[in-house]
Amino acid sequence: MSAITAPLRRTRPELERSAQRHLRVVEEPAPRRTLAYAIVMIVVFGVAVFGTVSLNALAAGASVEARGLEAHVTEAERVYAQLVADVAALEDPARVRAAALEIGMTAPGPVRHLALERNLPADGALPDSRTPDEAADPLKPMLSAER
Amino acid sequence: MPSASPRHSRRGAAVLRTSEQVAVRRIRWTLAIFAVLVLATTAKLVEIQVLDAADLAAVSERQRARTIELPATRGRIYDRDGDVLATSVQAATIYADPRAFRATETPDGLEVPAAAAAGDVAAALAPVLSQDAATITERLEEDRHFVYLARQVAHEMGEEVRALGLPGIGVLVEPHRLYPAGPLAGQVVGFTDIDAQGLQGLESVYDGVLSGTPGTLLLERAPGGLDIASGVRELSPPAVGTDVVLSLDREVQHVAELAAATAMEEYDAVGASIVVTEVGTGDILAMASTPGFDPNERGDEDPSDRRNRAVTDVFEPGSTQKALTIAAAVEEGIVTPSTTMSVADTISVSGSTFTDSASHATSQWTVTEIMERSSNVGTIQIAQELGPEQLDAYLRSFGYGRPTALGFPGESGGLLRHHEDWWGTSLPTIAMGHGVAVTLLQLAHSYGTIANDGVAVSPRLVRGTVGEDGRLSPVPAPPGERVISTTTAAAVRAMLEEAVHGEAGTGGLARVDGYRVAGKTGTARKPSEGGAGYSNQYIATFVGMAPADDPRVVVAVMIDEPWPFYGGLTAAPVFAEVMQAALVALRVPPEGAGDELPTALQLAAEHAARIADAEVAAADAAARAVLEGGPGLVGDAAGDPPAEQAAGVADPP
Repeated sequence: MSAITAPLRRTRPELERSAQRHLRVVEEPAPRRTLAYAIVMIVVFGVAVFGTVSLNALAAGASVEARGLEAHVTEAERVYAQLVADVAALEDPARVRAAALEIGMTAPGPVRHLALERNLPADGALPDSRTPDEAADPLKPMLSAER
Repeated sequence: MPSASPRHSRRGAAVLRTSEQVAVRRIRWTLAIFAVLVLATTAKLVEIQVLDAADLAAVSERQRARTIELPATRGRIYDRDGDVLATSVQAATIYADPRAFRATETPDGLEVPAAAAAGDVAAALAPVLSQDAATITERLEEDRHFVYLARQVAHEMGEEVRALGLPGIGVLVEPHRLYPAGPLAGQVVGFTDIDAQGLQGLESVYDGVLSGTPGTLLLERAPGGLDIASGVRELSPPAVGTDVVLSLDREVQHVAELAAATAMEEYDAVGASIVVTEVGTGDILAMASTPGFDPNERGDEDPSDRRNRAVTDVFEPGSTQKALTIAAAVEEGIVTPSTTMSVADTISVSGSTFTDSASHATSQWTVTEIMERSSNVGTIQIAQELGPEQLDAYLRSFGYGRPTALGFPGESGGLLRHHEDWWGTSLPTIAMGHGVAVTLLQLAHSYGTIANDGVAVSPRLVRGTVGEDGRLSPVPAPPGERVISTTTAAAVRAMLEEAVHGEAGTGGLARVDGYRVAGKTGTARKPSEGGAGYSNQYIATFVGMAPADDPRVVVAVMIDEPWPFYGGLTAAPVFAEVMQAALVALRVPPEGAGDELPTALQLAAEHAARIADAEVAAADAAARAVLEGGPGLVGDAAGDPPAEQAAGVADPP
């Protein structure tokens, strides 16, 4: 056996494949399901459009309802403000005095006061249920009720 | 099969290489073109998204966004008990777009006819707006885009106009400032302009607190101008204005205004002012000036009627100041209430002669008697011992010569020359309340110091503010400043009590049933308007406090040019009326032990019986008059016959 190796000998088919390696066998393409794909896309598109329109309609409906409520609140606030003004006008001391004189009432006599045996839960006698913080703010009940 | 020649092989390889290179070249060109397009697109994106982003966003927002300003509701003004003195309601404003009433052309040259005839629209609006149709027509034909037809009218009127559905006519909602009690405390509360900006009084002083912060509503709109229901909707709610709670008491204010108006009419005066303050806190319970005005109906009143004269107008306090002169002398240890002095009815100072109001023999009077009799001569003698420097210093300590800490617009500080500028007759003149001028509030403040055991507390009109939580945030109480000692204050109060309850007191008409009152009358001639000297017109005053031993209320009354002109005859009874109402409002019990229930019931029954008797007597008189007039005829309470009867009598058969 010689120590020198013989050159590699290539067979013809190998040489031809080597010369034509930029070419390849193209298999017959698989049949595409174009119709199914189109249907799916149409359905998806339709669902998307329907969903968008539905959501928009719902949003518009909710918005209209919100507008209605806001208008209701605005009207209620307007009526409330007017009622506050009306009450204040009706409580006007000049009006009360004129109305009292008109129905035949007269000015009170000399001021007298009674010596009571015990305090009554009237003005100036704070009920025990009120906290000191509340008691320190005599306006709070009136103003809180108004708001 | 023969193999290809080397030449053919080289040609084939060259062909293959050429084909591959062409393909590669085309791909590269395509990539290059795509790269250029991508770069161009990226550059444009950077330009749009980064460089011009702000400008484009603004343009976009202008095109589709609509920002509506939401006006803040102005805060209310309450009295000390929470009763509303000023509030805001929603009113309607009627406007028109005059372009709708004339034919126009579009930019494309198309003719747009008028939506309606101005005359027809005006005729429809006139009865609703209570305006002349011709006036409305004139406004509708103006060459403008927007005209007001009626501002801040009743909401119902706006709804009525809206229901008419007239083209070119619109209705806006605007806040309208309303003063439910009308003229009550009008000069103190002040008023706003039509755009709710404070113009006068506390509305002006606290405008920043009351006005609040407007909000915004951001909407998206379609090209047609309609709102996009599902579009962006950002609401920044307006911050409601803070409410202001005053120290005024509505009931006391009403009584004070009524008393001032009655006094003005009864004494034929040109004006009257009353100030009521609470001792210790400096709270002003009432501040009334007549003539007044109704802030709801401005326009026809005299502008001077809007002035809060109790703080803007000054006058010479007259004898009411003697209490301050004597208080200074007592504080300095110069005299005591029981110090006896020899008092003649005249005294000469620097060539001028000063007299008492009534001639009398030279008498030995105590300082208390000098106060009780309101002796000019005795007061001048005390002032001479006190000296001008001390008198000047004490008067300034009592609040003369500078405005109070109230901060009310137009408040005057009065007139008090520095003692170094005084001349020979200044000391005696100023000691008895002439040659010096104060506001009524300053006078009430000085007496408040005496009532408050010698500690001066600045008067205040605002107790606190109320935010959206409904809680009152009190204004810090003003610090007190001692002017005279507690002992001196008590001594002066005792002397002032004698001026009301003493036998020779000049203020007897200031007595209040059930209470001891301490006070002083004052009568001063008004300076001539044209120059030096005094006119023949007078200012009548009374200042006092009650209960005398532990004062809770100070009332100061000033009547301008009354007849009779004596303060003890005109201002004192007004003081009594107002003081009684103030004591009742503050629930100050009358002095002495209260009645037992049976006694109180019996007294009440007697009072009711007296009223009933008076009513029965009046009814009897009316019935008698009717009966005397003949059966079947109806007369009024005054006994005047009706027209038919009168005609019958005048037309005998």
